[in-house]
Amino acid sequence: MKVTDLVGLALSRLGTGKLRTALTMLGIIIGVASVVALVSVAEGATAGISNQLQSLGTNLVTVSPGAVRTGATRGAAGSATTLTLADATALAGLADVQAVAPELTTNKLVVVGSQNETARVVGTTPGYLPVFAYQVWVGSFLSQSAVDNNLRVAVIGATTATNLSLTQASIGSTIDVGGLPFELIGILQPKGGTTTADDQVMIPLSTAHELLVGSNSVSAIGLSATSQDAINTVSAEITSTLEQRHGITNGVDDFSIATQAQLLGTVGNVSGVLTLLLAGIASISLLVGGIGIMNIMLVSVRERTREIGIRKAIGARGRDILSQFLVEALALSLAGGLIGIGVGVIASFGIGTYAGWGFIFNPATVAVAVGFSLIVGIVFGVWPASQAARLDPVIALRYE
Amino acid sequence: MSSLAAEPIITLDEVSRVYDLGKVQVPALNDVTLNVANGEFLAIVGPSGSGKSTMMNILGCLDRPTSGRYVLDGQPVDELDDDGLALVRSRSIGFVFQSYNLLPRTSALENVATPLMYQGVGRKERLRRAQSALERLGLGDRLHHIPSELSGGQQQRVGIARALVTEPALILADEPTGNLDSHSGAEVLELFGDLHALGRTIVLITHDGAVAAAADRAVHLRDGQIQEAVRE
Repeated sequence: MKVTDLVGLALSRLGTGKLRTALTMLGIIIGVASVVALVSVAEGATAGISNQLQSLGTNLVTVSPGAVRTGATRGAAGSATTLTLADATALAGLADVQAVAPELTTNKLVVVGSQNETARVVGTTPGYLPVFAYQVWVGSFLSQSAVDNNLRVAVIGATTATNLSLTQASIGSTIDVGGLPFELIGILQPKGGTTTADDQVMIPLSTAHELLVGSNSVSAIGLSATSQDAINTVSAEITSTLEQRHGITNGVDDFSIATQAQLLGTVGNVSGVLTLLLAGIASISLLVGGIGIMNIMLVSVRERTREIGIRKAIGARGRDILSQFLVEALALSLAGGLIGIGVGVIASFGIGTYAGWGFIFNPATVAVAVGFSLIVGIVFGVWPASQAARLDPVIALRYE
Repeated sequence: MSSLAAEPIITLDEVSRVYDLGKVQVPALNDVTLNVANGEFLAIVGPSGSGKSTMMNILGCLDRPTSGRYVLDGQPVDELDDDGLALVRSRSIGFVFQSYNLLPRTSALENVATPLMYQGVGRKERLRRAQSALERLGLGDRLHHIPSELSGGQQQRVGIARALVTEPALILADEPTGNLDSHSGAEVLELFGDLHALGRTIVLITHDGAVAAAADRAVHLRDGQIQEAVRE
């Protein structure tokens, strides 16, 4: 028997009982659609989170001060004031470090005309822009000379600008930060991600030291490594440099290092588990769909016992009957699988659009789903088909 | 007649068939010896329970004898496996059944073409041959009717077309007129007469002596044994 004959037989058979065919396929359709949609949801969510993390800065390494120790009592991390501008300068000299941004953060009241808000004020250097992946919308960012000369200039985030009704036209005007007048020199583009990232005022680090805090420490040092791969090397170099500078020999560091890679890794792990979980749940419906196919095929073999007898009498071998029923089961599951992919893609498009991470289409998922439905067809079709193939023609012909 | 007897198409040599029902052994055929010559039209006549159906199953290679030899068209078939028997059925035998046994929801044309599909004949060629077989039997205007749209006589003619389409060595008819009114039945028997005249070998199994009269020769089966051979 030719393959085309088998396919023709299967299709004409499925065409004769359309409702039954549709209902049988429904199980596979739902199974495959949920696999495609849920995997896409998991991937979409993961990509969304990764994007937000990326927006915090590429290849970012953050060094924070350690805790204050008073006798046996250990304070909260970051409570110490052990990091200094000199540390930041030293770290800037490391091989794989692209840019360094020491920052000193405090909250101050910012007043513009009749409007005011309490904003995060960050004293920093020009490196802040590349390290945290900001872009200037209008005006310019803090220059090195502004930092060197303790200038009273300020750059504000997009949200702050909106809150205080500052626009392009406001560049060059004076704003009041912590009771002191600063010249507004730039407004940043919004970068999304965390909501606080766009709501802050940046001033030269030296100015912050002089006017607002009155100490030489910084609250954190942000660095960007030259590449994702260099992050681990950079972390190690930072550790050894700072241990040397702070005279630490016992391995109990007074600072801590957090990298983007750790965060991304954690997110990756979580989303991997999430994807597996969702795919697992979806596979159960695929399994149920497969059992539905087996059920209908067994019924079909029984109903068509006489037909099988006739076919054998006029020359069909056992394997011809086996192939006929197997191809029928395969056609059911494959057709169900293809429709399921369509439904799944539409569903993931809808969910992706609604959730805002866009449409994520993974051909691998589709390949897996098609493969899975084929396997379901074979696994759940082979038993009914072999039942049919083994029928004794004498008995089958007499069957009413 | 001597030339025909010289080349038998069927040779049954002391063929027995015993059904093993676990505790009891039921003999259905008992040492049956029978020759059918090429081109002969033979009737096997017997009441129900005489072993007719078993005879039909053995002759039609749907079942194997428990003992004895069966040579069909020069090939010993008593030792073949299931696939081997299927191949013999496909190539050498055309069945005509009492209840027609057409595939339901399948057009006359597809029904007649199906045996050719199992021979591996391409679709175009088999549809062409099926159509010509149906046209020869006067069903040229019923090609695309499904069995439930045809009368009993028409269905049986489709069945005969299906038996003929592979040009088999043997046409095996099991009570072919049993479900037909006397007019259609007579037409079918006449058709067998025509086929016989064209040189076909036909074995007709029936309980009806009047039907058997259409054949050249009748053998009577009773209690699994051949009673007598009658030559007309």
